[in-house]
Amino acid sequence: MTTKYSRFLAALFCAFLGGLLAWHIVLPDRERSDVENRTLAQFPAFSWETFQDGRFTEKVEDYFADQFPLRDQWTGLKARAEQLLGKREFKGVYLCGDTLISKTAPPADGLEQRNLSYVARLAEAAEVPVYLGLIPSAAEIWRDRLPKGAESWDQTSFITQAAMLEGLESADFLTTLRAHAGEPIFYRTDHHWTTLGAAYGANALLEALGRQPLSVTSFQPETVSETFRGTLYSTSGVHWLEPDQIEFWVEDRFGVTSWRNGKPEASALYDRSKLEGKDQYSAFLGGNQPLCVIRNPEGTGKLLLIRDSYSDALAPFLALRYEEVHLLDPRYYRNPPAQYARENGIQQIAVIFSVPNFITDRNLVLLAG
Amino acid sequence: MVFSSLTFLFAYLPLTLALYFLTPPRGRNFLLLAASLFFYGWGEPVYVSIMLLSILIDYTHGLLVERFRQRDRLARWFVGQSVVFNLLLLGFFKYWDFLAANLSRLPGVDLPLLGLPLPLGISFFTFQTMSYTIDVYRQDAPVQRNPVDFGAFVTLFPQLIAGPIVKYKTVAEALVKRTVGSADFAEGACRFTAGLAKKVLLANAAGELWESCLGAQASGALTVAGGWTGLLAFGFQIYFDFSGYSDMAIGLGRILGFRFDENFDHPYCSTSVGEFWRRWHMSLTSWFREYLYFPLGGSRGGAVRTVRNLLVVWFCTGFWHGASWNFILWGLYFGLWLILERFVFRDVLTRTPALVKRVYTLAVVFVGWGIFALEDLGTCGRYLAVCFGGGAGWSALDSYRLRSFGPLLVLLVLGSTALVPNLWKKLPDRGQKVLTPVLMVLGLLLSTAYLVDGSYNPFLYFRF
Repeated sequence: MTTKYSRFLAALFCAFLGGLLAWHIVLPDRERSDVENRTLAQFPAFSWETFQDGRFTEKVEDYFADQFPLRDQWTGLKARAEQLLGKREFKGVYLCGDTLISKTAPPADGLEQRNLSYVARLAEAAEVPVYLGLIPSAAEIWRDRLPKGAESWDQTSFITQAAMLEGLESADFLTTLRAHAGEPIFYRTDHHWTTLGAAYGANALLEALGRQPLSVTSFQPETVSETFRGTLYSTSGVHWLEPDQIEFWVEDRFGVTSWRNGKPEASALYDRSKLEGKDQYSAFLGGNQPLCVIRNPEGTGKLLLIRDSYSDALAPFLALRYEEVHLLDPRYYRNPPAQYARENGIQQIAVIFSVPNFITDRNLVLLAG
Repeated sequence: MVFSSLTFLFAYLPLTLALYFLTPPRGRNFLLLAASLFFYGWGEPVYVSIMLLSILIDYTHGLLVERFRQRDRLARWFVGQSVVFNLLLLGFFKYWDFLAANLSRLPGVDLPLLGLPLPLGISFFTFQTMSYTIDVYRQDAPVQRNPVDFGAFVTLFPQLIAGPIVKYKTVAEALVKRTVGSADFAEGACRFTAGLAKKVLLANAAGELWESCLGAQASGALTVAGGWTGLLAFGFQIYFDFSGYSDMAIGLGRILGFRFDENFDHPYCSTSVGEFWRRWHMSLTSWFREYLYFPLGGSRGGAVRTVRNLLVVWFCTGFWHGASWNFILWGLYFGLWLILERFVFRDVLTRTPALVKRVYTLAVVFVGWGIFALEDLGTCGRYLAVCFGGGAGWSALDSYRLRSFGPLLVLLVLGSTALVPNLWKKLPDRGQKVLTPVLMVLGLLLSTAYLVDGSYNPFLYFRF
């Protein structure tokens, strides 16, 4: 090795490490990452206590990683390298042609059975009929699209088991979605169902609730976004797929009230400002909230949905049939739903969750209260 | 702090190197000591005190041994004291809970469990400092009178937490006087990058495969093929992890002006179990040979004594790897194979073709990894039972795994042989000159991408 050449190698090495350090220092810290859809760690405050037990240095490491320059590009580079090595699974997300499908991991410590028992307890406590609807995710409906032999927890047998629960009616999303498996009922880059999927889902639920189904062909879909890159796009690092489209089907003419900050506020079926950001699915009803009521004077009856985010796209369809649809998210609404139903003259309660959420949600114990 | 972390690579390392080369040579040991203590204290600041205590005690014992050299009994007494201190330190932090839990099974014994976190690298630095006093006594190394130089030796961050176990005599000279040419820096940087890539790109990926096989066992879906795939994956994970870490240490040492001994020499190409251990974690094997096996009498006292000595050494080697029965079993398992090779197979092995011997060695070693990796002996037994026919042969999941990890497995196999370095040597100078910077940047880029992504990046040595 000549001196000149080894100086060049040494300089290259130093430039790489030192260059990224300098970049890191110069780069202003970000509050949150739109691509990953989460808040980023900030430089921690120093105290002797946190220093002594190692928490301070741990937080510095989080900060350093979260604020690293070109985070998204590094993630993308890794996914490309993995793909080159023949990998089809990217951090729990399968790449299936032009579609990303999230793998369903087996539930831990019997939570799925406990959650079922909480729903059964709700049915005992409530004075009105309780319906349970478990929405199979893309990994189940599109199992044939997964890489051959790839694992995903068996949602079908769980849904079948749940349907046999005593004291409850059940809504059969599984059969309905299976019948339409050839259509784009789930987003390709997000774990939610599309508006089309939600429309089919609404009919399955309306049928169970004893209401007249909607005619899916009579709607005039409005394409409101062609740049939707969903949660699976972010977690997988697979950044080379075409973005999804988002459609609004139901006309926004109902009275919507949201309790985002503990007080009722006028709201809408759609929050179009969310279409400008990353988390575009939250344009439906404006995203997560403890409680929301949709009023349609032309409808009849009062329905309470205890639900996850899948119902954001579902609720507009239900509002076409009901005078009031109440949406309650047990992650944020901390009072017993049976009591809420009593106080608000609810006539039917539907517990509607996607299976991956239902088997991992640790808040459903509130249903039993 | 560990080498394969963003904070080390992009904050600690560039800053430390900059300070190191800005400091005039006579201040560099002090800087190394300070920087290494910072490195050590990063995760567990409290344990810096153990480190300082260890430095102080071994430093004074070195001086005492030197001072009373003429009075051999006294000198021996101080060597003994230092060894006992180091073993107590190691015993307390690493083995207390294990001993307490097992002794408490005896009637009338009730020892409390302390649940103390293991001080990083304690198994490595206690062994290094022990070697120091012994070397001084044996006059293999000069006594170190400068506490800063001695402290720099004990805490030297490149090899502090995962070896190689550097004997004092190897670096005694460099501690006092060392030069770093640009070639040292360049070669060190290349070596470091290669080690980083081995750890982050190969070992972690192999680890994912291993975890997936473990998951199959947990859900009762493990097949014979899956079982062996898992053993293979773990064997590659630990090899690339550990040898990658050694490469990084050797590379960093080189950048700072030290030359550490090699720690791995393509162990999976060995043709006997004995040869495997001469090529795997060489610094540990040679430590035990020099400071335990030879003092016990080695193989000079007849067959019975040799067998006893081998069993003692391999019990200790196993136990050194972790405070749990499976590690003891693992050590004795190798002890047994070595005894067989020495006394039973010797003639058979000389007549066996090399290929068969390689297969035999790999089978012994990889089954051994099963014992090593599965701490719970029940799980371990069930896992190995599946491997030897106690389950279905093949499942759809296995073919999925093979497709997903096939190319990686090919890389792992090729990477663990001498093929890559041999091909590299055959490359004309021009080719090497062009490829070196390309590979370096590629290795750094990909490793950074994998680290930023924050995926699976375990540190296998916390328990060592």
